[in-house]
Amino acid sequence: MGESTGASVRSHCIGTTAVVYASDYLNKLTGEKIERECRKQLDCGCRALVIDFSDTELVNSIGISILLGIIDIAERNGARVIFSDLNTQTIELFQVLGLTRHVILARDEQEALTALTSFTMQSSTVGH
Amino acid sequence: MSESDSKQLRRILAHVTRDEFVGRTPELARLVSHPATTSQARGLLVLLAPLAGVSELLRQAYDELFNRRSEIVPIYFQVERSYATAVSASIEFLNTFVRQYIAFQRNAPSLCEASLTLSDLVKLAPATDYDWIADLVAAYNQLRFSDDSKALVRFCLSAPQRVPPQNGRPFVMIDGVELAAYLNTDVQLGSEMIKTFNRSHLPYALAGLRRQVFEAVHRAGTDFETLDVLRLDRLKEEEATRLVEIAARRQKVALSEETGDLLAEQFEGSPLFITAFLQAARERNSTPTTYLACQQLYVDDLMGGHLNRHFSSLLEDIAAEPEVRRTLIRILYESAIAGKRRTPFETWRKLLNAETPALQRVLAQLHMHELINWDGTSVEAGGGPAVWLDYLKIRFRLDVANDPRATVVADAIADALKRAPHTMTHRYKRSANLNLRELLSRFDCQVVPEMLFDYADFAASYRGAEVEEIVRGLDSESKHLRLPQVFHTATCSSFIANLDQFRDKERCIVAHAFEGGTYTSTNQVVWLVAELESKLEADRRLTEAWLDSLTLSAIHSGFNRTRIWLIAREGFSLEACELLKQRKAFASSRQQFELLAARIKEWEPPKVASKPDDFELVLPMGDDNEVLAAGIVEQIARRLDFRPEAINQIKTAIVEACINASEHSFSPDRKIYQRFRLESDKLVITISSRGVVPSNLQAQSTEQGAEIGQVNETSEERRGWGLKLIKTLMDEVEFERVDEGTSLRMTKYLRRGSS
Repeated sequence: MGESTGASVRSHCIGTTAVVYASDYLNKLTGEKIERECRKQLDCGCRALVIDFSDTELVNSIGISILLGIIDIAERNGARVIFSDLNTQTIELFQVLGLTRHVILARDEQEALTALTSFTMQSSTVGH
Repeated sequence: MSESDSKQLRRILAHVTRDEFVGRTPELARLVSHPATTSQARGLLVLLAPLAGVSELLRQAYDELFNRRSEIVPIYFQVERSYATAVSASIEFLNTFVRQYIAFQRNAPSLCEASLTLSDLVKLAPATDYDWIADLVAAYNQLRFSDDSKALVRFCLSAPQRVPPQNGRPFVMIDGVELAAYLNTDVQLGSEMIKTFNRSHLPYALAGLRRQVFEAVHRAGTDFETLDVLRLDRLKEEEATRLVEIAARRQKVALSEETGDLLAEQFEGSPLFITAFLQAARERNSTPTTYLACQQLYVDDLMGGHLNRHFSSLLEDIAAEPEVRRTLIRILYESAIAGKRRTPFETWRKLLNAETPALQRVLAQLHMHELINWDGTSVEAGGGPAVWLDYLKIRFRLDVANDPRATVVADAIADALKRAPHTMTHRYKRSANLNLRELLSRFDCQVVPEMLFDYADFAASYRGAEVEEIVRGLDSESKHLRLPQVFHTATCSSFIANLDQFRDKERCIVAHAFEGGTYTSTNQVVWLVAELESKLEADRRLTEAWLDSLTLSAIHSGFNRTRIWLIAREGFSLEACELLKQRKAFASSRQQFELLAARIKEWEPPKVASKPDDFELVLPMGDDNEVLAAGIVEQIARRLDFRPEAINQIKTAIVEACINASEHSFSPDRKIYQRFRLESDKLVITISSRGVVPSNLQAQSTEQGAEIGQVNETSEERRGWGLKLIKTLMDEVEFERVDEGTSLRMTKYLRRGSS
């Protein structure tokens, strides 16, 4: 696993999956840092992004708009995105803003990685 | 003051007892409290509308302060016309001051109006005041024969400053109604008073005709920040009626209810005119219990009694020379019958054959008494109270037209008798009037059910329903109308003179406003509002006549955007409703109007003053300070036992509101002002900032929450989510109208039990 702290954004790679950790307050500044890290990971060949919200207590609308941007970028790169470790309030907020229509939510990082693995296996089976 | 206190109050300068003093309770309280509320020299300008009356108010204040026996030493001085010069007036002031000061310190009210010289007063001075009073009188005796009038005036006026602080604090009240008579003197008495009192360390009050007092303040070059203002308008209808009743009882003059009301109306509530008339009745042993007896006495007094003397003295002060006075009467009378029109100064100069400075003094005096409006270049004449206009007509006919006296008297009585029923009809109608002007002036962007302006819809839904049902129905109406913010109202006849001929003035109002409280040309609108007289539903013909009349008036007056609103007691017929719909006019019945009035009167703008459950916070913009606000609101919300989900919603909303304020306002101080108000069932949060009002604010405020969170939205579109998010998370969201910047009010209701 390669771990990097790109300007205070923690992340690490597990195979072709990058796990990026959001900070306690997802706003414009921290959102853009996450976006930058995600882009970097995708440029390095990552096929999936897990954004871990275990530390996140507060999210504002600018932060959410940046997350949607990340989803855009990931889609264009053929990568999957999963959000993990969201608390109830953040889930509710994402639901209100319709974010949950575009991204899978996982209870924790392990569940997210498991889900990604099963997607990969399904893709392989279909392609056969 | 309690009733028993009122009864025990010694009457010293006041002409009537406190119980008999009508209509000025708040003003009296203000005056009496003025010296105690300020430790610095602070003037109170009591600005008098003509006929409002102020002398008795000051005298009542004097008595109250005298009887309180506190450190405040009241001094009342009435400027009288008979003093003739500023120097004489000032010397009288000095005498009055010393006399009243000693009367207070000795607790001897009888000294207040005793006829004593300064030398006599020195002998009466209490031991603790003897030295400075003796010095004062000695200094006066040295100065009085000097040639320097201004120095003497200032010396006399500054006498109160010599009182040693431990001996008391004089509060000088100047009754300056006659100050206008001193406009022509070498020393400007009014301005000197203001300058001198302002320089002292003592509070004071200067009462006078509002135009005169303002003129004096400007000439004195006084900083208005050191002055408070108390405006005295004419007595209200009920107060005037009560005044007539009390004054008649005191003068032992019998009146009927009808003539009492007539006098209150005819004299426009003027204590001066009412008192003069009743005095005349007493002197002549007259019993004005009928309109005939009233008007006979009225004309008699106007011809040669107290009313006549009042106006004659006024004219003599304004124009000393009989020939000039005669021409003045002619010009004023002819202007009055021609209607108020502007005439150039030059025309007046030629007509009066006067030099410019002399004419300016004449016009200044007339302007002070609000008998004309003079702006320095042209004159608008024809104004003044009805009594003055009657006097003018009599004088014109006698002095200019040389009509026989008997004819003038007979015609004057006839005119007064013919007018009396119309005067009273106007009064009774006014009582029954809807008070359009007062309600329109309260329009301030309130949101009300649209149905209150649509008679057809309202009648279809609620005709015959109980009031409670109607109110419930209106509360649940989904269609609303945001009222404009009205900034000026006037009668229609103020804009279109010929409307005056057949319209009751107060039933047709023009209101200038801005829609949404946004001050732009596109938002400016003029509402033309009329109350129709119709016993049954107003029919199409009547409605059309009014619509046409108001539309033409609007065109004539150059109003760009207008809204017509007609009100008829019983509403409008079907045909009239169709027409109103075609012409896009609002229409209401009296019931709708009253429901609207009730809603508007309940609406109070948010108060800034703090209450126990009000919290205020000011944060700098930026640095993620919205997180601080979120933390604080969480603590506040916990006090009301909001559920955790609700608290999170509130936190998110406040974060968004703070970001909104930071991003949109161009704030000069870079601060966000937050107010949190806890009520039993809700939390109200107001987030404000100074700066620019966003141009799309109105749209943002009223648009419904739209579908959000689309992947294919542009980032700019996504960046506008903040307000939409707030509307989703909070129960009520509204942009308050403020002069600059933004103020967003959000409300979250407490939902007890299950979510």
